[in-house]
Amino acid sequence: MRKQKITGLAAVMIALATGFFSCTPESCFEETIAKIKAPFYLSSTQKIKAPDNLTVSGLNTDAGPVYENSKSVTRAELPLNPQAAMSSFAVIINGISDTLMLQYSSFPHLVSKECGYTFYFKLESVAHTNNNIDSVLIWNPSVTTGDEDNLRIFY
Amino acid sequence: MLLSVPRPACGQTEAPDTVEIPLNIRIGAELAGHVIWLTDRNNFNTEGFISADLNEKYSIFAGGGYSDYKYSQYNYEYLSSGFFLKAGVDINFFGPAKSKGKYWAGVGLRYGISSFSSGVPVFEYENYWGSITSSIPPSDFIGHYLEASPGFRAEMFRNFTMGWSVNIRRLIHSGAGKDLRPIYIPGFGQGSENVGFGISYFLLWNIRWKTISVILKQELPEETEETQAAQVR
Repeated sequence: MRKQKITGLAAVMIALATGFFSCTPESCFEETIAKIKAPFYLSSTQKIKAPDNLTVSGLNTDAGPVYENSKSVTRAELPLNPQAAMSSFAVIINGISDTLMLQYSSFPHLVSKECGYTFYFKLESVAHTNNNIDSVLIWNPSVTTGDEDNLRIFY
Repeated sequence: MLLSVPRPACGQTEAPDTVEIPLNIRIGAELAGHVIWLTDRNNFNTEGFISADLNEKYSIFAGGGYSDYKYSQYNYEYLSSGFFLKAGVDINFFGPAKSKGKYWAGVGLRYGISSFSSGVPVFEYENYWGSITSSIPPSDFIGHYLEASPGFRAEMFRNFTMGWSVNIRRLIHSGAGKDLRPIYIPGFGQGSENVGFGISYFLLWNIRWKTISVILKQELPEETEETQAAQVR
């Protein structure tokens, strides 16, 4: 009787194990694209203030604008090109255009088994024109899918 | 004849009951991995082990195996293969009267080390700047983990034991950095998690190397009013 019970229990366990290891791909619910997080600060008050009007476009790409005449954007999120060591953006704040150049290194990162791989970046330097942008500060050089700010743009 | 049987005299304590427990060296093979492979040809795992009883409660355990794991989904393919070794102790919770050297219900506590290669032949990435197809070449890693395996086993035929266990594993170190953590670690399982679970079903061949006599714990008779009165008298 005891032997039958143990054998029966083993059969159930094997059936469960087979279920555990089924190869159905699972859904991805996580953020998979690492972007530069750059809040806007008014340089006169040193406080966060969304531009009245914001347009941001990548340079040397056919892709459209990242933001187009957007209002109430307190923090811009800028995607980087993992195939290049530098990405440049035209940043038009309240109708005045500046160029923002970001230099970085990129490396692959596993998001999760469900989501697969992405690229993370290490910001190395920032350059910009001074038409409306006053200064740009590197706050955290690690560009990940997390929520931490990477740059602070003062205008 | 009956009179010649020694009997405890009044006032003498009775000789304690003992049970003969065979101590075995066991050579075993894990079968669940092969069954899983029949249903999922991307996940091959083979494992064998040897254990030796130290006494009626404790056994030492050493095992090892090989895994070959493939995984693919719409945006990447992943490969991992390698060897693992485990060593530790098995603790039997059954007392000698119940186990008789044939039945075991307890837990195995083990340390595992895994030497494996992990790589991503292809992955796809898409963002604002366009889409990229890239790869991560295979690299060699050494991972470490701890395992607790509660389970049961019973001698089904002379010298042959069958059993199963649930394996709960805690990853100590995957061997890789935080960015390219292995998705699968041979011996441990899913490397993207710190805690892993598995099920083992095994067959063992027992080789008896010693038999010991274990004294059974005597249950003291309950004190009744009659026995107390007799003691007073």
